[in-house]
Amino acid sequence: MRRLYEFLEQDTRAAGFARVALSTVLVLLIWQVVSMLVTNRLLLVPPAEVAVALAGEVEQGAMWTNAVATVTAVVTSFMVSVAIGVAVGLALASSRMLSLTGGPVLSALNSVPIIALAPLFIAWLGLGFASKFVLVIMVAVFPVVVTTEAGLRATDKQLVEAARSFNATPLQIFSTVTFPYALPFIVSGIRVAWARALVGIVVAEFFGSFAGFGFAILSASQTFDTARVLGYVIVLGAMGLAGSVLFAALERHLAPWRQE
Amino acid sequence: MSNAIRLRVEGIGKVFTRRDKPSVEALRGIDMTVAEGEFVSIVGASGSGKSTLLRIVDGLIAPTGGRVLVDGREVDRPGPDRAMVFQQDSLLPWKTVVENVAYGLTLAGVAKADAHRTAQRFIDIAGLQGFEQHYPHQLSGGMRQRVNVARALAVDPKILLLDEPFAALDAQTREIMQTELLSIWQETRKTVLLITHQIDEAVFLSDRVIVFSARPGTIREEIPVPLPRPRSLHLKRSPEFVALVDRIWTLIEEEVRAGLKQG
Ligand SMILES: Nc1ncnc2c1ncn2[C@@H]1O[C@H](COP(=O)(O)OP(=O)(O)O)[C@@H](O)[C@H]1O
Ligand SMILES: [Mg+2]
Repeated sequence: MRRLYEFLEQDTRAAGFARVALSTVLVLLIWQVVSMLVTNRLLLVPPAEVAVALAGEVEQGAMWTNAVATVTAVVTSFMVSVAIGVAVGLALASSRMLSLTGGPVLSALNSVPIIALAPLFIAWLGLGFASKFVLVIMVAVFPVVVTTEAGLRATDKQLVEAARSFNATPLQIFSTVTFPYALPFIVSGIRVAWARALVGIVVAEFFGSFAGFGFAILSASQTFDTARVLGYVIVLGAMGLAGSVLFAALERHLAPWRQE
Repeated sequence: MSNAIRLRVEGIGKVFTRRDKPSVEALRGIDMTVAEGEFVSIVGASGSGKSTLLRIVDGLIAPTGGRVLVDGREVDRPGPDRAMVFQQDSLLPWKTVVENVAYGLTLAGVAKADAHRTAQRFIDIAGLQGFEQHYPHQLSGGMRQRVNVARALAVDPKILLLDEPFAALDAQTREIMQTELLSIWQETRKTVLLITHQIDEAVFLSDRVIVFSARPGTIREEIPVPLPRPRSLHLKRSPEFVALVDRIWTLIEEEVRAGLKQG
């Protein structure tokens, strides 16, 4: 038992997988026990039934249709969010004037629950890709803007001075010092942006679409098909987890010196 | 060895002016020369403008008066004829040892393969073999300073500027680094201007020690060090060495006290 505990505490890939596996098993176990106590199948279904429902979706091809709709929309809008976020962050970091005037507008926008405007976006842009695209960008872009600006501003002055001492041009200072220094910050913003993008896409699909995980969840809950609702929620959770693990690993890879 | 003057500092003064704060006069009327291949140290109380002078010589900041000449040409920006080793850690943490040593060369547009070949030579000189692919955070403080010295030497400067390079190291490591710096200097024959607050370090390494007064920094005295070379650590126990250190310490003591009062 003690040996197992020590193994799980390690900072290795195997231990990481083991931790995820262990917590998954634990959640499934608790879920199973609770669903044996709560017998109303409208409120809760046991894991096995959810698995069966998911398998059914895969067999019918609905899973594939929904996945294509959601993944293409979320991945394209997420990537565009990252590009816009980095560009805006760069602009803010390079101009004090812009940061002072644009900064408050951005933080105001960031604290408004943009999700609540989803019906408006759909009224403006119609049912389909455009409204999803804009809504996801609106929610996902801010963390990238903020971390990009912060990362670029955090640059170690000593490193800049050393580069200048070697006659570096401003462009070389940016590419060899300022940007690499900011990169792990930016990736941490991207990690948050991915989680927000997933929420954004589901909400957009709730309000207006004919395919996608959000659409499937909504239609399943309208027919009280709790197993299907939970199934799709689990798929979304897995996507969120995968992104989080991936970007956290990237952050560690880009800034190994921060860990020690 | 010729005695040509490599570095000439003429009437350098520096006043820092900042908004909402009283201006600080860091340096006043500094005149000095360093001959080709000479090893000169500057000692002085902390805050006496030593780092400021080095940054002016490197071309990182402009003086408010006077000028700096390298081989007779006035300096107004950093250039490949000078390289600096900084007081604070200034290696790029995301680059390996070999990439860090090659950094100055790649900035100058040297092709990667050539830059790494040159870097390897200075890695060998600095005793860093086997650590080429390590990252700075995987090295001890002493090793990191070797990388800094190797990085400065790799661009083949005429003048090496060292700002308290060993200040952060423990006493034993510092002594080892001193002897290694001497042997590197003997091998490469660079002109060296070193700043230190360790008087015995200055005497051990230098041909000449320049003593700064407290703020504003002025040259209090120049003391030649006529001790024979090559030098080994045993020299530090010799009466001539101890007498020199003592003399400089007496000179500097009141300046340090004055500096302490200024805060
Ligand atoms: N960029 C700067 N702006 C304002 N004052 C400075 C600046 N750099 C150094 N000084 C001041 O100049 C004086 C000399 O500093 P420095 O050259 O670092 O001394 P030393 O290296 O001898 O300890 C100090 O009083 C310091 O506070
Ligand atoms: Mg200093």
